Amino acid sequence: MSTQVEQITSQERASNAAMAGLLRRLHTGNNIAVGVIWVVAMLVALIFVVIIVDLVIQGFTARLGNTAVLLNPDFWGGTELGIASEVFNTFYILILTEIFLVPIALGAAIYLVEYARQGPLIAVIRFAAETLAGVPTIVLGLFGFILFSAEFQLHISRLAGALTLLCLNFPIALRLFEQGLTAVPRDLREGSLAMGASKWRMIRTVVLPSALPGIVTGIILSAGRIIGETAAIVFTMGETNPFSGVFTLNPLIASDTLTVHIWYLKTQDIPPGITAAEASAIAAGSAAVLIVILLVINIGARSIGRAIERRITAA
Amino acid sequence: MQLQHVRRGHLYDRIARTVFLCCAILLVIVIVGIFFFVGQNALHLFFEPGGATFQGFFGGTTWDPTGVTSDSGIPQYGALGLIIGSIVITFFSVLIATPLAIGVALFFVEVSPGWTITIRFFQPLLEIFVDAHQHALALDIDIIRFFQPLLEIFVGVPSVVIGFLGLVVLVPFMTKLVAPITGNSPVGGYGWAAAIIVLVVMIVPTIASISIDALRAVPMSVREASLALGSTRWQMMYRAVLPAALPALATAVVFGMARAIGETLAVAMVLGGSDILPSRFGLDTFFQPNTNITQAILNEFPETYGVSRDAYWMLAFVLLVISFLFICISRYFASRRVYR
Repeated sequence: MSTQVEQITSQERASNAAMAGLLRRLHTGNNIAVGVIWVVAMLVALIFVVIIVDLVIQGFTARLGNTAVLLNPDFWGGTELGIASEVFNTFYILILTEIFLVPIALGAAIYLVEYARQGPLIAVIRFAAETLAGVPTIVLGLFGFILFSAEFQLHISRLAGALTLLCLNFPIALRLFEQGLTAVPRDLREGSLAMGASKWRMIRTVVLPSALPGIVTGIILSAGRIIGETAAIVFTMGETNPFSGVFTLNPLIASDTLTVHIWYLKTQDIPPGITAAEASAIAAGSAAVLIVILLVINIGARSIGRAIERRITAA
Repeated sequence: MQLQHVRRGHLYDRIARTVFLCCAILLVIVIVGIFFFVGQNALHLFFEPGGATFQGFFGGTTWDPTGVTSDSGIPQYGALGLIIGSIVITFFSVLIATPLAIGVALFFVEVSPGWTITIRFFQPLLEIFVDAHQHALALDIDIIRFFQPLLEIFVGVPSVVIGFLGLVVLVPFMTKLVAPITGNSPVGGYGWAAAIIVLVVMIVPTIASISIDALRAVPMSVREASLALGSTRWQMMYRAVLPAALPALATAVVFGMARAIGETLAVAMVLGGSDILPSRFGLDTFFQPNTNITQAILNEFPETYGVSRDAYWMLAFVLLVISFLFICISRYFASRRVYR
């Protein structure tokens, strides 16, 4: 009797030991895997924080004349040393592009969300949007060059650049606007239609105001992409500024932006009147300014969207 | 009176509908236009006198469309070196970026939600410091909601900025680091290796952002079922969540590839540029100035004309077709998703 019990317990002990071994192995494996995931995530986060901090530091350590480039008044001026023209051009092209982009992309989004029925036409439009989103920006730049600059006789101009950027940002803006529109609850639409409103009246008075937070977020996020784009506008908007100056609203002159300026100074020619060291410092300062503008825009997009949402839902 | 009003409403309705439809159709026109214009100019290369043959373009290794570097002045259209450059850079950058990006996605979706549990455990303690109960609850937020916008900011970092940092920080560092391999070449930092590193930085946020959506689409019941069978957390991720999200993750990777092959500024700035394909491939091939499709277009297209310009259109067309193939592949994977 007692030997039987001992046998069972020894068997149990053996299987318990095997089980414990297995468990230990599994838990070690688990801990290692989770640890690796931790390390990878922290490493990636660290790289990106370092990139952004380093850009700002470069702006303060690169020297233009006797001071850091970001603290030098010449850097903010309109001479060869300054980036005032580039900042002006960047915001000019941003506004010009948004003037084309918002109505067209919003119109397309309204059609897809409000009017379209499932069918081959919708499938084709969606496939076109996905394909256009995947076209390399440099190919879009060449397309803008042949169509807008050559065929439409716009030459190398701000207008040609803005139209190219319209093609580039169309799919993204469409997706963001669609998200904004689909977030509007169905009941609101049905309520409006039940009151006897026509579909266009319903969209105008009910859907668009309620979708405003999503639309504003879409506008601001596409603004970030317009400001950051380079390859698509090098061939359509030019690499340098005209001698007559850029502080004009004329859309038919060539001009550069902050991004093109950085690329031009670092890899192409150094403009007459400045040294290579000065060009490097100006590029560093421009990169810092650019990243700060983009951070403000991205953080602003979310807080403005949220603020509008709060106001609308509270009202 | 009433009837007129209604009729006018219908008229406006029809006009609005037509205008919106035109906006949507414009999208189709643009993409067809891109294929038409780029393709038309590209095909000139094969049919015009002085142009290239199909084999010469895809099989030749000497890229000299203007004929200025050769003694005879005869242009050469061998784009194989450029195409290989693009493919090598894309392949290695995606190879490195994918595990990193999926690791980040797993962290945000599977590992970091554990943090809220810790916070809940310390909640009574926290309530001593934060007197309103509301605030203590607010700590219970989804960590993704905080980090995914951050990730999207990194998706939007302009490539020229990454290229600038690559040129100013990475290339000098690499030159010193690989000096033993390149034999102290002063331009050893430029080349494929630097381009791969720069591209990894650019596509990790893209792949991670789509992967996060993919993992979040997997329902909780899949995780619960796996855990109920006695899985550890890693087994649950590896055996249940990742397979369930596999088609969507594949979409993310292909998207990363499409972005990598079309990336221009960042890559062009650190490649250093040299149109000669190395005669043999070795470790040092990665650490010498090199080139790819996008860099050739960006730097040389404006100075060309005539048939030699058509050669650059052909390069752009090759790029367009490759990225179109990637989009088709990603659509195929997306259609096989189980959870959305």
